[in-house]
Amino acid sequence: MKYLNTMKRISCFAITLFSLLIIPLANAHHSASMFDRSSIVEVSGQVREFQYTNPHSWLLVDVTNEDGSVTTWGFEAEGPSTLMRAGIRKGDLPAGTPITIRGNPMKDGRSAGAWIDAVVNGESVNPRNGFAVIPAAE
Amino acid sequence: MQVSILALPFFALLTNPVFGQDTTVWLDKDASWAVNKPRLQAFGEEFDSALALYQFLEQQAEGGEQLSLEMLTEPAYDWSGIFTRTGGGLSFDPDIRASETTAKLTNSGIAARQAKIDQLAATGGEYDPISDCRPPGHPRWATEPFLHEFIVTPDQTWLINEMVNDVRRVYTDGSTHTLPEDAYASWNGDTIGFWTQGMLVMHTMYLMPGQYQRGTQPDYSNQVEVVERWKKVDGITLEADYWVFDPINLSEPWYSRQSWTELANEDNYLRIRYWDCGENQNNDIITTFDGTSQFPDFDFIENDAAVSTDEAVKRASQQ
Repeated sequence: MKYLNTMKRISCFAITLFSLLIIPLANAHHSASMFDRSSIVEVSGQVREFQYTNPHSWLLVDVTNEDGSVTTWGFEAEGPSTLMRAGIRKGDLPAGTPITIRGNPMKDGRSAGAWIDAVVNGESVNPRNGFAVIPAAE
Repeated sequence: MQVSILALPFFALLTNPVFGQDTTVWLDKDASWAVNKPRLQAFGEEFDSALALYQFLEQQAEGGEQLSLEMLTEPAYDWSGIFTRTGGGLSFDPDIRASETTAKLTNSGIAARQAKIDQLAATGGEYDPISDCRPPGHPRWATEPFLHEFIVTPDQTWLINEMVNDVRRVYTDGSTHTLPEDAYASWNGDTIGFWTQGMLVMHTMYLMPGQYQRGTQPDYSNQVEVVERWKKVDGITLEADYWVFDPINLSEPWYSRQSWTELANEDNYLRIRYWDCGENQNNDIITTFDGTSQFPDFDFIENDAAVSTDEAVKRASQQ
């Protein structure tokens, strides 16, 4: 991830602690009532499309099932500016990128969720770090 | 001036250095905050209305100071950069958790808040009107996250939140409020202000009703008015005193100190861009039968209604 180096200024401990603290803010534009916050779904597949849009972005991932069929999963995150603050740019996740991703699943059974984190090329990607306030130098 | 004669001794006390710091000037949020915050709350409570408070501050400032273009390069007026709310999450008073409130509510205000608490307890969710890109409105505006820009000019200051392309305009050119017979309510209302000692003092009225935030934060009525006093307290931080007056939902004005921090942005990639709920179908939000929120129609699922167990999704597919 070409932009993730900037995030290394934050210690792993701080990131972990912050991730816990900002969960209530993870869906700042609408209620998160459609997601099951008590469950986590993890899938592995390939990026189909990164919809880098306001007010929310959607990362679509094609997952091949055991019977060979493909299910597209959608994972919601905040909009572009918050993702940039998390070190995630649109160009980081082109179509075809192998990815393992976790999210809080939809309550209604559809293949979608609220994006918690992901692993891409061995690196952790956490969109929720985008609410961290990293101040400018005075 | 609406301040009662009986209140004058109180102001003498507030402004007397023997008894405490002068609340008509800026008080830093420092080690004395536990003492000074209640003092600022009490200061607001001495006024019958937001306009009375604003007029008092204006009188103390002798009408305020007209900025010039040359002054805009001074640190006090250089509000350039990309900011975000410093902290507080979804709590209007950033000093406390979002599940709590420091507002002194009327019975009406208590009932409105209880209805929200009951909704959450019964369903575990809610529907937030901003989900379809309606503006948050003011004073909720102060609690919204995301990117902000603040544009200071001699005659106007623009307070911008990237969310729904939201701009509050503060007229500092000596304009008065729109006359009552010509006024109409709007999300951000009508704001006038003046500068004094590096602070921007403003008064906002003619607002729409709303909520300070979703969750269990209180509601405000269409009679809400707000006095704000903004100041750049260091090279990267803007803070603002907020006194919210609402005779319907608040038994006393509600004081809080809001804050915004300039973000690191060395490569200038953080920019405010257009914000529209309609640009991605997957961001459509509908209200469910129990008053919570749902996505009606994903573009990556061929027939959502056939998959979803939510009756609201099935209903949406038939419309």
